[in-house]
Amino acid sequence: MSDILDKILFEPFDRFVDRLVQFLPDILTAALIFLAGIVLGLILRSLLLRFFHAVNLDKFSERFGTVEMLKKGGVQEPFSLILSRLFGWILIISFSIISVRSLNIPAIDQILQKFILYLPNIFVALLILFFGYFLSNFLGRAALIAAVNAGLALSGSIGKFVRLTIFLLAVTMALEQLGIGKETIVIAFAIVFGGVVLALSIAFGLGGKEVAKNYLEKKLEGEEKKDDISHL
Amino acid sequence: MHSITLRSDIAEKVNEIQEADILVGIPSYNNARTIGHVVKAVQAGLVKYFPGKKSVLVNSDGGSTDGTMDVVQNTAIEDFQSILVHHRVGPVFKIATPYHGIPGKGSAFKTIFEIAASLNVKACAVVDSDLRSITPEWIELLIKPVLEGGFDYVAPLYHRHKYDGTITNSIVYPLTRALYGKQVRQPIGGDFGFSGNLAQFYLSKDVWETDVAKYGIDIWMTTTAIANNFKICQSFLGAKIHDPKDPGADLSAMLYQVVGATFDLMETYTDMWRTVTTSEKVPTFGFEYAVGLEPVSVNLDRMIDKFRLGIKELLPIWEKFVPVEITQFLSNMVVVRKEEFHIPDDVRVKLIYSFAVAAHKKVLNKEHLLKSLTPLYIGRVASFVSESWESSAAEVEEKIDTLSMSFEHGKNALIAQWD
Repeated sequence: MSDILDKILFEPFDRFVDRLVQFLPDILTAALIFLAGIVLGLILRSLLLRFFHAVNLDKFSERFGTVEMLKKGGVQEPFSLILSRLFGWILIISFSIISVRSLNIPAIDQILQKFILYLPNIFVALLILFFGYFLSNFLGRAALIAAVNAGLALSGSIGKFVRLTIFLLAVTMALEQLGIGKETIVIAFAIVFGGVVLALSIAFGLGGKEVAKNYLEKKLEGEEKKDDISHL
Repeated sequence: MHSITLRSDIAEKVNEIQEADILVGIPSYNNARTIGHVVKAVQAGLVKYFPGKKSVLVNSDGGSTDGTMDVVQNTAIEDFQSILVHHRVGPVFKIATPYHGIPGKGSAFKTIFEIAASLNVKACAVVDSDLRSITPEWIELLIKPVLEGGFDYVAPLYHRHKYDGTITNSIVYPLTRALYGKQVRQPIGGDFGFSGNLAQFYLSKDVWETDVAKYGIDIWMTTTAIANNFKICQSFLGAKIHDPKDPGADLSAMLYQVVGATFDLMETYTDMWRTVTTSEKVPTFGFEYAVGLEPVSVNLDRMIDKFRLGIKELLPIWEKFVPVEITQFLSNMVVVRKEEFHIPDDVRVKLIYSFAVAAHKKVLNKEHLLKSLTPLYIGRVASFVSESWESSAAEVEEKIDTLSMSFEHGKNALIAQWD
């Protein structure tokens, strides 16, 4: 009876304890590396921020038009802060990878290898999102201002529609880059976008029939009183 | 970009003329209907007032498809005796050529400057091709101060309808006067006289790929002349009546080009305008007389609606750089009744200065920033129209003078925000 208990319970438990004892230093090392990464990342971020301030990076970037580009995209934070944060995060992520690899688990090693090979896709997807965000804000604002200057009552909706459409397009492209539901997402986007356009066309056609009629009548018959003001 | 005078046909014509005393330039684009009258007035002005001078008329065309250049080439005054009493009738050389570069008035002027420089002319004038009120006397008034008075730049002075030239009256004149200290009443009038030296100075500047190549040319010419201490004056030309300016042109694009060029010049001449504290009158030539003007139709309701739409949609953009008290004022204007619609001068001044500082500090993309000014400008015009509905021309002029004084008084705040 005691032999059976030894074989079923105590021997596996002993082996588990042995492995745990062997593995514990790796876990501690990994945790230490991870913590060191966070601390170093924060320190690097703070040091770089001070350095960038000291070398007047924000003024330089303003001169080269980077700040204008960021502002065009609706990003108000200083370029120095964005860059120092980026470097801080790169360091933290690097330490996290080293920490996980220090566990010496073949399965995790394989996953990490795949992850590292996959990283360029993530980078490109992030770039697409980054520029998509800029472009959507920029073109959304341009559409809004143009619509207001044309006197269109739906200016706000037009601006939002343009912004959302471009950002959705960027998200679709980013997901495609990541290989997530490749065809499905493109088809879904096409269906949603086509559906929205069709819905708007039908809504405009039915709801705006009278408006369009009045507008055309005014245009053709010259009923609308225009300004003769010469601005220059 | 290559000079137009390198083109064989132009070089041939320049070689034929060799040198000239006076050059009058007419920029055009599809103005076949009106340019004939302008060419006749210019020719008559040249032979009547400058009979002993060698004169050239240059038509710088933007690729007209309605035969504008043919009209220029074929227009001649058949019976000079009906215009001239005893003067000798001398020939007026003509050059009609399409210009190169960005399509716009500024590029047309560059071609005129280049031909003026290659002919080594002493005095030049430019007049719009859509003028219906131009007379031969305009040429005398624009050229004589240069040839005989030693002036380098002659700005026009017109009688215009009180609702005509609203960008000039509400933004460009008061701002230019406050910044550079010279009371040039029509800084973007479009019809100017200038010396050959000044034409060469203009050519030496590298601005022909900017908004100066478009509607920005007028304010650029005036400001460049003032800021570089050229001797300036203005001549009273009478009424300015012209065909509607470029009917296809979008107001916001026009505003963007003119105001954008004005703000760009603030960057170029910062050191100069910061030191100017008051403004002075400039010498004025010509005999001022009252003129009858064509009525101007105004749709006040539509203007107020556009202003309100702008406040509703664009206020979050303006809040980034316009003082809080002004954005609050604008928010309140949404519910104000049409009869009480009024934007005070100090609000107008603070708005324009806020936009100038925002452009300087690159708070927003420049095109977005300046195009977002359109509803505010329309609101300002609506306010001006409702305030001056019953006012005479003299009373309107007083209002513009008061607004200009407000711009001058607010300048210290502008300087403080600029840095």
